[in-house]
Amino acid sequence: MKPQSEQREAPSIEKPHGIPDGWEPNILAFACHYCAFAAADLAGVMRLSYPASVKVLRLPCTGKLDYIHILHAFERGADGVFVAG
Amino acid sequence: MIVGTQKPLEEIWDMIKGFRKVLVLGCNTCVAICHAGGGKEAEILASLLRMKASLSGVETTVRHAAIERQCESEFFEPVMDEVRASDVVLSLACGVGVNFLADKAGDIPAFPGIDTAFFGAVEKAGIFKELCAGCGGCILHLTGGICPVARCSKSIMNGPCGGTSDGKCEISRDVDCAWYLIVERMKKLGTLEKLFEIQPPKDWSTGLYGGPRKVVLEHITAPEPPEKGKESQGGM
Repeated sequence: MKPQSEQREAPSIEKPHGIPDGWEPNILAFACHYCAFAAADLAGVMRLSYPASVKVLRLPCTGKLDYIHILHAFERGADGVFVAG
Repeated sequence: MIVGTQKPLEEIWDMIKGFRKVLVLGCNTCVAICHAGGGKEAEILASLLRMKASLSGVETTVRHAAIERQCESEFFEPVMDEVRASDVVLSLACGVGVNFLADKAGDIPAFPGIDTAFFGAVEKAGIFKELCAGCGGCILHLTGGICPVARCSKSIMNGPCGGTSDGKCEISRDVDCAWYLIVERMKKLGTLEKLFEIQPPKDWSTGLYGGPRKVVLEHITAPEPPEKGKESQGGM
């Protein structure tokens, strides 16, 4: 029987602190392969830019997204999570 | 199945904030079905508690694990090392599981992460309904398969009270009158006349009112008798 206890070491979570000058939020974008990610691709073809602090993560479908993925994003330092699908 | 709901995060935090190594232990049977305490919920709660600890400036390690059932010894074996390595175990099982874990965990406290509510069924996705009160004296064969003990607000045994109205209970329009359901169902089954039979008063001592209950199966618990051959050898 599998104990189901396999898990990564708990990530170190950022301590609360004031907002420094020039701070930009880290945004993690979960994008569906078939719509939002394709749209982001098209935006690139059109030479549209977005802040470097936005990281796009492609999912086969945003139906794959679970609460825990969003929580892990926050635990690992994302300031905001954007889901598009 | 046993239905429960997860306690508010603040209540859980108040229980465990003094401990440094926390194990959130899910149970993958009943409480997983009602989205309160399965492995998935244990992982989510552990994540929330890590963030809560960090925001509160407390150095706490929160790990998670889950086993198939917290009401049977065999299933605990794979996680007992993790249990022993913890300062506290927050069990997301029903109250049965928390009690059972407390017996096994020695000097490590076992705290409840959910409020155990009732024995129920999944009416539809996300809706769980109490259908049995575990009274220890089932009469469902006399009441069309609908339990007046669990489903009548007053557990009345002899028909609807004056509070019934259009098939609903006086406590809320959202609550069906169990006796209305019983009569309608028995009409459908053609067994309504059964209700005219005089029944003896219900023995409530078989329920929780009679104190903690136990079922003992002697054919399983009794030690096996020695084999005849060996017995005679021993006697020689």
